[in-house]
Amino acid sequence: MSMFREFILIALLTGLGTAYSLVSGLAPLPWAEPELAAGEIRVEDARALDVIWVDARSETAFTEAHAPGALFYDQADPVGSMANILEKWLQEPRTIVIYCSDENCGTSKKVAEALRANLPDAEIYSLKGGWSAWSR
Amino acid sequence: MVQVNHRTIPLLLARLVLTWVFISAGLPKVQDPLAFSVSIENYRVVGGSLALWAAIILPWLELIIGIGLLTPWLRRASACTMAALLSLFIGLHASAWFRGLDINCGCFGQSAGAAENPDYHWLILRNLALLILAVYVLRPSWGNKNTPQGSK
Repeated sequence: MSMFREFILIALLTGLGTAYSLVSGLAPLPWAEPELAAGEIRVEDARALDVIWVDARSETAFTEAHAPGALFYDQADPVGSMANILEKWLQEPRTIVIYCSDENCGTSKKVAEALRANLPDAEIYSLKGGWSAWSR
Repeated sequence: MVQVNHRTIPLLLARLVLTWVFISAGLPKVQDPLAFSVSIENYRVVGGSLALWAAIILPWLELIIGIGLLTPWLRRASACTMAALLSLFIGLHASAWFRGLDINCGCFGQSAGAAENPDYHWLILRNLALLILAVYVLRPSWGNKNTPQGSK
């Protein structure tokens, strides 16, 4: 078999594998809107609202860049961080959106749960895709 | 008729190592392309749906060429593709290192305790060693226009 035909065969087999991933549901469809879990919000929806941003990443990442007016959630001081968020929300009750670094980090969801326990009347979401989605 | 010479065993070992590495790399990423797409985005070269397409296609390519390297019908193109991919990975790691990015390599799928400070020396040296193996495997059959008749 000539080298060109070998490459064609590799490309065909790779294409078949890719098609299998898409059809079987192993991979999400790249052209589809990503599904939202309960308690999540997309970045474009969050940006359209006047929200209270809460940054649940590391202090270094927060210092480097963060959403405008975002409050830093210090995991080493959850009580103090919660108090800051509560104070800001009481001044002007708005939707609260928490973000961490990316799609796979779970910190924002944990912080959101803790906030819901302390602020049952507030609308609280974690940002789908995290900071990665924000900075795209 | 299979021809056996002094290069037979080293070549076979090199192919087995490369096959094992690429199949080990491809399998977990085929099963979780979403996690792999996050790793790709962290390199800040492509993002969004492009990163997801790459995350879906690349693991299958790794699997195919990993297996293909052991077959006479796909050996040369598989070795060639491996060399190209490894060169790409070395370039990406070097670029991430130069830009000071803290990334999860994503080489073998998402690991639970992914290091925030990747060892770029190790990543680049490892891929360089694999690249040398790929070139070593590719060289004997480079001059042949047709599929090799036996192992070399």
